[in-house]
Amino acid sequence: MDLSAIGIETNFSNLDWCIVIGYLLVIVAVGVYIKRYISNVTDFMVAGRGLKTFLGVATMIGTELGLVTVMYSSQKGFTGLFAAFHIAFASAIVSLVVGLTGFIVVPLRRMKVMTIPEFYEKRFGRGVRILGGTILTFSGILNMGMFLKAGSIFVMGITGMTSEYELKIIMSVLLGMVLLYTTLGGMVSVVVLDYIQFVVLSFSLLVTSVFAIRYLGWGNIIDTVSQLKGEAGFNPFDAKGFGTSYVIWMFFLGLVNCAIWQTAVIRACSAESIKIVKRLYTFASVGWLIRFLLPCFFGISAFVFIAQHPTLKNVFLPEGSVADSQVTLMAMPVFLSQILPFGLIGIVSAGMLAAFMSTHDSYLLCWSSVLTQDVVAPWFKNGLSSNVRLLLTRIFIVAIGIFILVWGLWYDLGQDLWDYMAISGAIYFSGAIALLVFGIYWKRASKVGAYLALICGFGAFIGLKPVQNILGIDVSSEIVGLTVIACAITSMVFGSLIFPDRNRPSGQKE
Amino acid sequence: MNFWINFWSFFFFASLAIFAVLAVVVTIGGFYNIRSLFKSLTNRADQNDDQS
Repeated sequence: MDLSAIGIETNFSNLDWCIVIGYLLVIVAVGVYIKRYISNVTDFMVAGRGLKTFLGVATMIGTELGLVTVMYSSQKGFTGLFAAFHIAFASAIVSLVVGLTGFIVVPLRRMKVMTIPEFYEKRFGRGVRILGGTILTFSGILNMGMFLKAGSIFVMGITGMTSEYELKIIMSVLLGMVLLYTTLGGMVSVVVLDYIQFVVLSFSLLVTSVFAIRYLGWGNIIDTVSQLKGEAGFNPFDAKGFGTSYVIWMFFLGLVNCAIWQTAVIRACSAESIKIVKRLYTFASVGWLIRFLLPCFFGISAFVFIAQHPTLKNVFLPEGSVADSQVTLMAMPVFLSQILPFGLIGIVSAGMLAAFMSTHDSYLLCWSSVLTQDVVAPWFKNGLSSNVRLLLTRIFIVAIGIFILVWGLWYDLGQDLWDYMAISGAIYFSGAIALLVFGIYWKRASKVGAYLALICGFGAFIGLKPVQNILGIDVSSEIVGLTVIACAITSMVFGSLIFPDRNRPSGQKE
Repeated sequence: MNFWINFWSFFFFASLAIFAVLAVVVTIGGFYNIRSLFKSLTNRADQNDDQS
């Protein structure tokens, strides 16, 4: 999209490019330098289980508050307005409850597992681990597939860049930098860089919020949303907006994001003690809140700004039709490019691109670790040596990097980015909820029940728009997600009751 | 609708304030945690060298 053709110029200057490039080079140099602290696979994958509270909180927020999160949350704010705040609310409440009770995460840390499929093996046997690990990585890598596209749209929106070719080069270089330091430094690099990125991004988000409020005025924001959207702009239960089933779906996603999604759970597994796990989740509930709330607010601000700007309004809010998903994704970066002064826009962009990298590094490490530990290693009766595991993990990191580069370029999104993320994640977590909750808290949960739940959970891929287009159906993502979760839980219960385990796998908690 | 306007306004500004405090606390606390992490990893590497 070439906004300069309609007279819209960005505030992004050469000074801002210098800030961004300088910052990213420093980040990569630090990441590579940290390789010297890695002496074995535990250091590489879970930082020697040496994470303390504040670093744990920083790295958890640093990972989950990525550029893709900022993009999909702001898109939800742009399309759902204040009513979309319920996503942040649900996320924070659920994380706080997990932190206070230790639900799921404390038993996992107590068992000293590195990945969730490792728990599957201890509880249900090796076959469940391999199937669970395969579904987890499939879902996780698919989920990650849109990161690069979201990053590209942000760069185009904020810098005013229009050359697709140059953009692809920049995004490929960024991905290459992440691959470099993640393959060398593993989890230690990831946590240290997540910390730096947490600091830069937190302060960028806070300053940008203040700028947006000062520029538009709080009263103006409320009045504009009231006039243009009425009740649906504020009330999440309003049928013209999200509706009750969507709100329930968001509470499920809140639980999944903090206690079931592997990239978050790996932080619990990396924590120094159970006490720190609980404290980490309690503190991080503020992070879960903010990761949705502030970007969502930027989306609302972008809506108000664009609604009052006739030229932009024709592009982003056309009369009588709904703008394409990729256009609404660009609303927030275009808004920031108009209100932030030069210099500050460079710092904010550096923070956002650093966030882009911090999410990539954690996700790359996470899915490659699962592939190594849970899909490949269980096939070898005598196990794999630490060096072979390290080598395999590094090879998988590069292979996943190449996949997301290709996927991000050709997949047609066709739905809100957040809904794509939720439904691609649901392929894994719909089954995982049943395995984790029943596996930990119900003695009679059996291997057959676990297999059935995993297979049912895989059915969530029907929620992806291109799949629905092929099947000729149109069902909202929350209905698909909630139905699949209900099926997975039912399968687990009935499968376990009808086919109980004869010999329970070793290591199982009585 | 007024209920939701007031609720989200309070929710937004309260969250912003809490996050500002958390950002400062985690920035300072995280710095000390990193120092401690590096110390423990260096000690482990030294022990591994001694054993081999």
